[in-house]
Amino acid sequence: MSVAESPYVTLISSDNHRFIIDREAAMVSSTLKNSFSYDFEENATNSIKLHEIHGTLLEKVVEYLYYNLKYQNRVEEVPEFNIPTSMALELLMAADYLDV
Amino acid sequence: MSRRTRGNDSSSVSGPNSALTEFLKEQGISAETIRQRHLARLRAETPDTAASEPETREASDEVEASEDELEIRIAARRKRRARGDAYTDSEDEDEYNSDEVAKKFGEVDQCVTCDKDFTLTVYSRYVENGYLCEKCNEKAKVKERNAKKNQLLARKKRQKLATALLDKQDLSRMPKLQDMCISLISEHIDQVEMLGDIGAINMSKISRILLKNRRLNDVTASLFLEPGLRELEFWDCSKVSSDALQRIPAFCPQLEKVTLSMCGQFHNANLQYFASNLRKLTHITLHGPFLISDVAWQEFFETVGSRLKGFHISNTHRFTSDSMITLLEHCPNLEELTLTRLDGLNSSEVYELIPHYLTKLRHLEISYPQNEDLITDDLLINILSINGEHIEFLNLDCCTALTDRFLTEGLRVFAPNLKSLSLKFLDQISDEGMIALFEQWDANPGLLSVNLQKCVNLTSAGLVFLLNHSGKTLVELNVNSVYGTEKLFFEDYLRSTALPLLTHLDIGFVRSVDDLVVEIIGNTCPKLALLEVYGNNRVTRKTRIREGLKLIGRQSDTI
Repeated sequence: MSVAESPYVTLISSDNHRFIIDREAAMVSSTLKNSFSYDFEENATNSIKLHEIHGTLLEKVVEYLYYNLKYQNRVEEVPEFNIPTSMALELLMAADYLDV
Repeated sequence: MSRRTRGNDSSSVSGPNSALTEFLKEQGISAETIRQRHLARLRAETPDTAASEPETREASDEVEASEDELEIRIAARRKRRARGDAYTDSEDEDEYNSDEVAKKFGEVDQCVTCDKDFTLTVYSRYVENGYLCEKCNEKAKVKERNAKKNQLLARKKRQKLATALLDKQDLSRMPKLQDMCISLISEHIDQVEMLGDIGAINMSKISRILLKNRRLNDVTASLFLEPGLRELEFWDCSKVSSDALQRIPAFCPQLEKVTLSMCGQFHNANLQYFASNLRKLTHITLHGPFLISDVAWQEFFETVGSRLKGFHISNTHRFTSDSMITLLEHCPNLEELTLTRLDGLNSSEVYELIPHYLTKLRHLEISYPQNEDLITDDLLINILSINGEHIEFLNLDCCTALTDRFLTEGLRVFAPNLKSLSLKFLDQISDEGMIALFEQWDANPGLLSVNLQKCVNLTSAGLVFLLNHSGKTLVELNVNSVYGTEKLFFEDYLRSTALPLLTHLDIGFVRSVDDLVVEIIGNTCPKLALLEVYGNNRVTRKTRIREGLKLIGRQSDTI
């Protein structure tokens, strides 16, 4: 909270892909929320390195973060979130880690 | 059949219709339009006779109005419409009718929505204040079709929510990514070779979904076997073969707690291997192990001996009095014991041995005995007098020989630490017993869970004392089918007594429960999350449900 809070945060995957996303979207994940809410280094640099998560997975995770953000307060029918079957297991591990 | 072939737009259920009716409906012609048209024509031809017709109130109204007034009205309407004012009132309707007075088929008329001129035909649709041109009619038809579709969709959604409610799920919440993955994985579990490091919670979630869909078999079962595993729960082993069960102790030698439900293929050799290979086994729960013979049980208890702390068994006739005696002799450290639906255990003498051997019981369930006379007040009082100090969980469902005496001379005297009590179907328990048990029972700080389902002799009088004593601590309460619960109890007593921790309440088949009672309960129980009202047909759609409270079993939800 020390520096002026940027509206964007950066997620870096294990293969060094950088995903610059809205802070609000990152807050969907309680793991990310905790990292960015206290005086950790992540908060100072506004970026977090996710060593365990590969770029393709992280892309899907980010897609979900925005999906959640967009539809969480909608009452009407929410479109289905598409997950490729081949990715399901690894994505589950990532989701478990990020608590989303 | 002809109307069914026409397609999806007429999919809603309706009574039998002729093909002609259906065709006319499609064209926007109904009995009402025909009548209106007929009246209009009559009026045009003989205004005087139309005025005398008693049923056409509108018609008579407008004929009474003078010609001048009519013209003024028409002008006013034109002006209003030019301003785009959607406002209409009864006066308008009158006036429109008078407007159409002169129109006949084949003449040029002005469409009421788009104001364009068009030729009036027999197919033109009459809406409440005039005819529609061909284009507007098409639009109106599309609109109606969409409205119908939306209505259907809404109904489907309501049904979906209602079914989810029965599963105690919340569909309105955003699904978690983990849960989406888990359901996807469960669908394709046959292709999974290894689950990997997905966390114990996710692991058990997957296993539970598989179990619920009855997909646990030899292949999928082995996915959950890890060398370091300490607890294993397979709630449905009906498709898991004896060989696969043999793998459990081989792969997971560290197991401490094992639960196998519906384990009809669990074999003597399996039990033997479990006993010899699982050196740390302390708790075992088996539902329906009907292949295990008396001798195998005895060997098992001899091997496991004093290690065993929890033994839960149900639904087998092979567990006999002899097996029970061996259990008592070899396993003195039992803290948890469940004996449910054991038809082979039919000697009251053996039951009477329990207090002689077991002294550390925390959790005791003796339910659905072979014969109600096996479980008597004296037996329970004996057991409680020895184990009472530790006992926290007591379940005596369907031990119908028990009476008030066990409450007053057993529980009240010996069970100060009791937290959970289940007395389903005990029809001899009465209000006097409840009052004698709970009135100023200061030794016990309060129960967390009470189940009094079908204690048909109880009434509100007994419940008042239960809540006076445990109201502050109760988390779960089941008074399903306690018919004597009066409405006054809810209205007067519950309104003034808060149940701060209550989260799950079942008041099904208590006939006095209605909309008002549900509201009162919602207000007095701030933490209540689940309220079951099966069979309470006076709880209707109109009841106001507090936010965060889930109401299950309401008839109107499913219709």
